[in-house]
Amino acid sequence: MSRRPPRGEYIETDTGNKVARKATLVGTQNIMLGGKTVIQPEVMIRGDLVRSIQSSSTSSSGGATPNNTAVAIGRYCFLSRGACLRPPGRLYKGAFTYMPLRMGDHVFVGPGSVIQAASIGSHVYIGARVVVGEFAILKDYVRVLDGTVIPPNMVVPSFTIVAGQPARVIGEVPEGGHEAFELRDLYKTVGNNPHPAPA
Amino acid sequence: MAPFNPYTFIQCPCSDSSPLGRPADSNSPTGSEPEEDERTFDPRAPRSNYSLYPLEYLLYCEDCHQIRCPRCVSEEIVTYYCPNCLFEVPSSNLKSEGNRCTRSCFQCPICIGPLNVTTQETKPPDPSLLTAGNAPHSGAYALTCSYCNWSSTEIGIDFDKPNGIHAQLAKIRNGGEPRLTAKERKERRKELSHRGDSAAVVAAREEIDGQALDLENQFANLKAFYSSQLADPSAGDNGLSTLGDLGFSSPSSLSRIMSLYTGGKLNDNKAKSRLGAMREALTSDEGLLVTDLDESALISQLHLSDHCDTASTEQITNQPPNLGEPLLHGASRFTSSLRPIPYLLRTKRSKRCPVCRHIISKPESKVGTTRFRIRLVAGSYIPSITIKPLVLPNPSGGSSSSNVGDLLTPLTPVHYLLTFKNPIFETIKVTLATPAATPGRFASKVTILCPQFDIDANTDVWDEALKDNDRGDKSSRSSGSHTRQRRGTEAGLQLEVGKIWERGRNWVSIVVEVVPASLRLEDGGMLREDEDVLEIAMFVRIEWEAENGGDDAGISSAAVGKDRDQKEKRELAYWCVLGIGKIKQT
Repeated sequence: MSRRPPRGEYIETDTGNKVARKATLVGTQNIMLGGKTVIQPEVMIRGDLVRSIQSSSTSSSGGATPNNTAVAIGRYCFLSRGACLRPPGRLYKGAFTYMPLRMGDHVFVGPGSVIQAASIGSHVYIGARVVVGEFAILKDYVRVLDGTVIPPNMVVPSFTIVAGQPARVIGEVPEGGHEAFELRDLYKTVGNNPHPAPA
Repeated sequence: MAPFNPYTFIQCPCSDSSPLGRPADSNSPTGSEPEEDERTFDPRAPRSNYSLYPLEYLLYCEDCHQIRCPRCVSEEIVTYYCPNCLFEVPSSNLKSEGNRCTRSCFQCPICIGPLNVTTQETKPPDPSLLTAGNAPHSGAYALTCSYCNWSSTEIGIDFDKPNGIHAQLAKIRNGGEPRLTAKERKERRKELSHRGDSAAVVAAREEIDGQALDLENQFANLKAFYSSQLADPSAGDNGLSTLGDLGFSSPSSLSRIMSLYTGGKLNDNKAKSRLGAMREALTSDEGLLVTDLDESALISQLHLSDHCDTASTEQITNQPPNLGEPLLHGASRFTSSLRPIPYLLRTKRSKRCPVCRHIISKPESKVGTTRFRIRLVAGSYIPSITIKPLVLPNPSGGSSSSNVGDLLTPLTPVHYLLTFKNPIFETIKVTLATPAATPGRFASKVTILCPQFDIDANTDVWDEALKDNDRGDKSSRSSGSHTRQRRGTEAGLQLEVGKIWERGRNWVSIVVEVVPASLRLEDGGMLREDEDVLEIAMFVRIEWEAENGGDDAGISSAAVGKDRDQKEKRELAYWCVLGIGKIKQT
């Protein structure tokens, strides 16, 4: 720690993750980051909410190490200030258990949003103050506008724009709008030595 | 107030009644031709709303070398699928089952959140029951909404099995009564008629007849009745046929009318023309439904109910048509008569150019994939334009500190940076033109300081990636600046007419000076909608030299030209609208 004389706001890992020192990561051993992911201050990731019952297939095989990942995040994800990732939980065979939360690449989570989805695809934009209910599934190229509440168990198919409380489909992502989901440039603008945003 | 985000909209040429550069000949006198040539685009015209699109929404036809918008392309459906279970629905099923998911995907009739099948907890949750794999008894499942906590038990519907909900729901009315389909109804009746006329059978038959027809059953009955009438024209001949040939009630005239639309042979039907009139449906079995005009029961129910018991217009319009609606009249006034909504299917669509019929966008047919086989988007052919306010640090102190979203002060010049980014692999020459004043009642003055410039080609993406790596190693902000030429800063932040403000690898920034108009009206009238929004119409003309045949961007699907060396001059011109900001009202 003391090797780096000026303590930056972010911890930058070998795989390019930029994790704010002021972010709250609980149960870090259960959180997987794919690399080049930005976690801003005041973000909370609940890695401690790990699956308590192993699925029958893995428990029967016995010797296999239990898969304890609670939150899996792909590459180039961006978790804005105050976002919260929380694995969803439910009754499974009579007992309560949490299920892992999976997130693809290039997922933007806006400030103050709470995510309890089962899975989020790649190239997903989630606006500010959004609530994604438990076990919701967001496919690829989905745009969630600010303030949306996605009810639990909802499936949002690819190329969908949703908004409202509860969320409803309000439009389709146009063919030319795919590149706007890329977060490579946004990744460069934060960190201890941020580059200015490109023109 | 929501902050104002600057925007750029591009006009699709499809909405232009007269081709660009050519005067409209039909409705303009020849004398005004030069004037017509200088006709400018008015972003405030009512029709403009329909022709302006953000760049992302536009496609580009490589064969016509023209922009195509969502309004002018023709769409073809590639795949139908359910947005909830993401199963593909073959188009043959679509004809028989309709355009809704027939699996177990339903939306809440109250809040349109998704419904899921849950077991009804009849016993208190007890951990000791964990091992008891008690078989669910009948009616053990219900559809519940996890957003508003609505449950199908509220309308008296529960299910025996957790799957095939659509089929189960079709057999249950609200309240739990079984609903007979037309076929079942007929079979039941036939069965009863075989058994003779004992009192019990008569009672059972009356029970069937007593069940009100719903729309689906009524239509099925009517259809069966009329098709039997058509097939058997002698039935119901009442002897008046000689007079009633002109009436619509005879099968002959009906079939004659039908043949007008279906193109059948008229002479064929003439042979039957002497046949009698059809009779109308007489029983509910034949589709007769006596309208119940007595709504006093409904009215008294309204007296007893709250506002929240009545269904809103939105809820009623969300209801699927025909499905179990009890009656044609007075349908679904209460939330208790709403039914779960099966999900409407979604489609993947390919798009064709309206002129040359080439496909310009085609997604993969599989539901799960997001790839496109063909995707010719305008963004990879025409430069993107971004707008940023330019802040000039003024030595005198009165700096024009304008942020995005700030209101514009009338009659004070402000500067905006327009950044053009070239997506193609050739150097393009851009020529801009704009009317000196914006159209409308409040004319803001607009000056483009550099209306003509070149943008360097978009070089290989790998060059950019390598350059970025270098920059990352040095991790200093200044190292990147050798790629840019900051003309503005070099000149001591002086705005120079005819000079580019800043340029980079494949982009150029220029300055636009705007003097917003004063929004004061002499007669003290009110502003019309959006009149305070400052919009600039700008004509963009791009010229470049393209390799003959081989097309310009990397994603080209066209055949490679025979003579690659030969360069061909291309040009593209279009109007766009720059939304700069809102003017402050004084």
